[in-house]
Amino acid sequence: MSCCVTPPAWQGWLWSGALIFAAVNFGLGVAAFLSWVERKQSALLQDRIGANRAEIFGFRALGLFHIFSDAIKMLTKEDFAPPAGLRPWHSLAPIVSMGCAALCLAALPFGDSVEFLGRSWSLTPLPLEYGVVFVLALLSIGVHGVVMAGRSSGSNYGLLGGLRGAAQMISYEVAMLAILAAPLYIYGTLDLSEIARWQARTWHGIPMWGIFLQPLAFILFMTAGAAETKRAPFDLPEGEAEIVGYFVEYSGMKFGMFLTTDFIESIVLAGMATTLFLGGWHVPGLSALGLPSLVAALLGVGAFILKVMTVLWVLMQVRWTLPRFRFDQLLDLGWKNILPLALANLLVTVWAAALLS
Amino acid sequence: MKAHESRSYMLNMGPAHPAMHGVIRLLLMLEGEHVLDAEAEIGYLHRAFEKHAENDPWNNVVPWTDRLNYVSPLINNSGYCMAVEKLAGIAIPERAQYLRVISSEVSRITDHLTCVGANAMELGSFTAFLYLLQAREELYRCVDRLTGARVTTSYTRVGGVKGDMPADWPDMVRKAFEKVRSTVKDADGLLTKNRIFVDRTRGTGVLSKEKALAYGITGPMLRSAGVPYDVRRAQPYLVYDRLDFEVPVGETGDNYDRYLVRLAEIDQSMRIVEQCFAQIPAGPIQSPDQALPGSKMSDLGKRGMTADLLKAKADVDPTLEGGARCGRDSVMAPVPDATLPPKEETYGSIEGLMRHFEIIMWGRGITPPAGEAYQAVEGGNGELGFHVVSDGRDRAWRVRVRPPCFFNMAGLHELLKGALVADIIATFGSINMIAGELDR
Amino acid sequence: MNPVLDKHRVKTVVRPEMRFQEQVYLIEVWKGLLITSRHFFVNLWRHCMKALGQDAAAASVTTQYPEDPQVTAHRSRTRHRLLKREDGTPRCVACMLCETVCPAKCIYIKAEESPDVMIEKRAKTFKIDLGMCVFCGYCVEACPEDAIRMDTQYIQFPGSTRADLIWDMPELMGDRPKIPSLTPSKDPLSRP
Repeated sequence: MSCCVTPPAWQGWLWSGALIFAAVNFGLGVAAFLSWVERKQSALLQDRIGANRAEIFGFRALGLFHIFSDAIKMLTKEDFAPPAGLRPWHSLAPIVSMGCAALCLAALPFGDSVEFLGRSWSLTPLPLEYGVVFVLALLSIGVHGVVMAGRSSGSNYGLLGGLRGAAQMISYEVAMLAILAAPLYIYGTLDLSEIARWQARTWHGIPMWGIFLQPLAFILFMTAGAAETKRAPFDLPEGEAEIVGYFVEYSGMKFGMFLTTDFIESIVLAGMATTLFLGGWHVPGLSALGLPSLVAALLGVGAFILKVMTVLWVLMQVRWTLPRFRFDQLLDLGWKNILPLALANLLVTVWAAALLS
Repeated sequence: MKAHESRSYMLNMGPAHPAMHGVIRLLLMLEGEHVLDAEAEIGYLHRAFEKHAENDPWNNVVPWTDRLNYVSPLINNSGYCMAVEKLAGIAIPERAQYLRVISSEVSRITDHLTCVGANAMELGSFTAFLYLLQAREELYRCVDRLTGARVTTSYTRVGGVKGDMPADWPDMVRKAFEKVRSTVKDADGLLTKNRIFVDRTRGTGVLSKEKALAYGITGPMLRSAGVPYDVRRAQPYLVYDRLDFEVPVGETGDNYDRYLVRLAEIDQSMRIVEQCFAQIPAGPIQSPDQALPGSKMSDLGKRGMTADLLKAKADVDPTLEGGARCGRDSVMAPVPDATLPPKEETYGSIEGLMRHFEIIMWGRGITPPAGEAYQAVEGGNGELGFHVVSDGRDRAWRVRVRPPCFFNMAGLHELLKGALVADIIATFGSINMIAGELDR
Repeated sequence: MNPVLDKHRVKTVVRPEMRFQEQVYLIEVWKGLLITSRHFFVNLWRHCMKALGQDAAAASVTTQYPEDPQVTAHRSRTRHRLLKREDGTPRCVACMLCETVCPAKCIYIKAEESPDVMIEKRAKTFKIDLGMCVFCGYCVEACPEDAIRMDTQYIQFPGSTRADLIWDMPELMGDRPKIPSLTPSKDPLSRP
């Protein structure tokens, strides 16, 4: 909706680069914050207090400084690679995992375009026309990190965990594509910011968010997404009590990078769920207030972050509530339950859409 | 283990593994995810309990029995002392019998809470574990109040128990039971009907009746396979024949059944304790008005100023609370050559002092006649038996513990053959192997 | 009592049947989430009330030791102490009953003649190796003089070497503080 001149290309690149930088930093910051949230949330629901001893000059800050103390601890540990393993791949695996996850953050639509200084600036760091596919593709590449980690560990446990992780991720990618087919059919576009914009329509006052139009797809997407990102209850590849997992031979910051990857992937999952099903940056009733574009855009960004946080909270609750799936049951769920349901959902959606139009 | 084709590989779930309760080594022959063969290597926690029992006087073995099944120490204490009393022909007072039953059942509840909790944690439900452990914590505080220690209780002695329960103890236990009921309800809601948990435990680790009986398996494992054998019902001891409780049995003998049987047993144990509180005979008579500090009483006694001394109550170490002279006879059989006199008599009379010395000095003390006795009690894991052999001395000739875990673990490889690697965790957790009991 | 005759006392556990609502994971997942969320919000509320200075039930079961007092019972067997007479000398008459009865054999007493004729005997040295002690309380039961008790309610006695855990008579009486060594011993055979 810009009535202005198209800005020169280099400005677009600069703005995009700055936003990507901001988005990735936001992601890493939230991932670090999530480690605190995980501790405190799990503590609250388990009737505990959680870690609260790290202090700076006597200030405890509810245990927030544990984020720093954990980071310092991990950074000051020995850079260890198992002698029976393959050293270059051992070091490369966490980089691949974390890099792919962090890049996904760049495609998330944080807000609507904002009118400022006579031109419209997009608040999506990477405004791609095929944002959905971009995110899914990057998550696929993340599988390489897992396999590299497992194979280069030089231990049977690691290998087992790596292969399981890879099998799980690949199965659930297929499931995710099938699940997303139905909502994407309704939205008619692969561009994430367009999808968010589409959900701003209302029907008799109710915003047409994906969760109302496609509730089954929402639930299936959260399940498949949790399985894709190896969050509980699908965390068998990293299940500590069982087979210990593909990062058994990792310690120090490399291990920290795998943990951070876990959190960043959760943020990506929450961001995708928000964009596809919860209306992205849309605040119901905000456009009626007629606020200036900058303020409305900032409120939209705030709404997006709030929704992402809520979805993350729910993901954390689910993690601490449920026991773990056994590996064959996990794969059964993906192929025999979720995939047929997703395809059935697609059929019903198409049929309903044909009926209503 | 047999040689297998080249596609199989050996995985060692070594002594140090997050999911192994205690230290034990499982050697698994795997083909992909399937277990072809499993072998358990035990003995990492062997501390020569039975050898120590040959070198220590009869009563001194009681602290070592704490460390057998260390999540249910009071059952071990009771079992051992009952075996020695059988041998020596000592009948313990009725109140002491009730106290032993109450403490055993409280220990059984802690054992089952730990087992179910740890099993849930290994399957991923950390929260259920922590909830159940809160309940266990309340019970441990009750046990601390009664015995002076949470786990290393050393509560029973040959001839009775160390001290009577405090007056407020039944209410403390009832309050703890409320907590147990509410946390078990929460854990139940998180696990029992949860399809994820059910899929992992149903149909896995199936133990048939015949195999269970062939291996000598007892306890919840046997009952989950459908055999209603409970030592408390089959060979009642202490006051179990006066108590009304049910024996939960399963049908299929899988992990799910064991989980359900243990939860049901927690309920039954609470029921038993409530009945005991109602039936227990009267406790100590109100203490006399005068309470002398123990030191003063001892000094007066040594100087021969014993007039009216025995009418007073000695104010001694709080750890000896409940063993005072008034009411002592209801918790400790007054056998002159087997049980220690109350402190009032030790301080205040020469006969008491002599008896005190005679019982403790080596070569004297409890000297059961030569012979042997076997006493079985229902432990947390099954029939816990103590076979004691005496040759007339003040210490045992031989003490043999029948550890229920040993026989349960003997059947482990049958449960694991053909299972998946992930099932090992669920199965192993539901056996409740306690290394202290297994290796002694 | 025969379990066969007692058939009415044997109760088969009920395996809840997995109807549709259990087969569909979600309903039970939702119920489980309600349980944990209930804990979460109730505890959050209590924490907030505490932070605002209001009276509230305990928001957690954690004992924040050492700020919160340790939780021991009245009868808890804690670190030993040797009692003194009115003139400050130890009550112990070196009768050796505690050394005899100790299952862990961690008490070491050397006796000597006491200058007081009425007392006759006293302990020259009295050592307890707290590293070997199993805290059974038998020594307290055995003492005929009320000379040793385990009621100090101290449960911490740190040390960097094994020698740090061997407490002497003046330390057990409270006359001399037990100061653990700051550095671990260099001797490999006495590794801490």
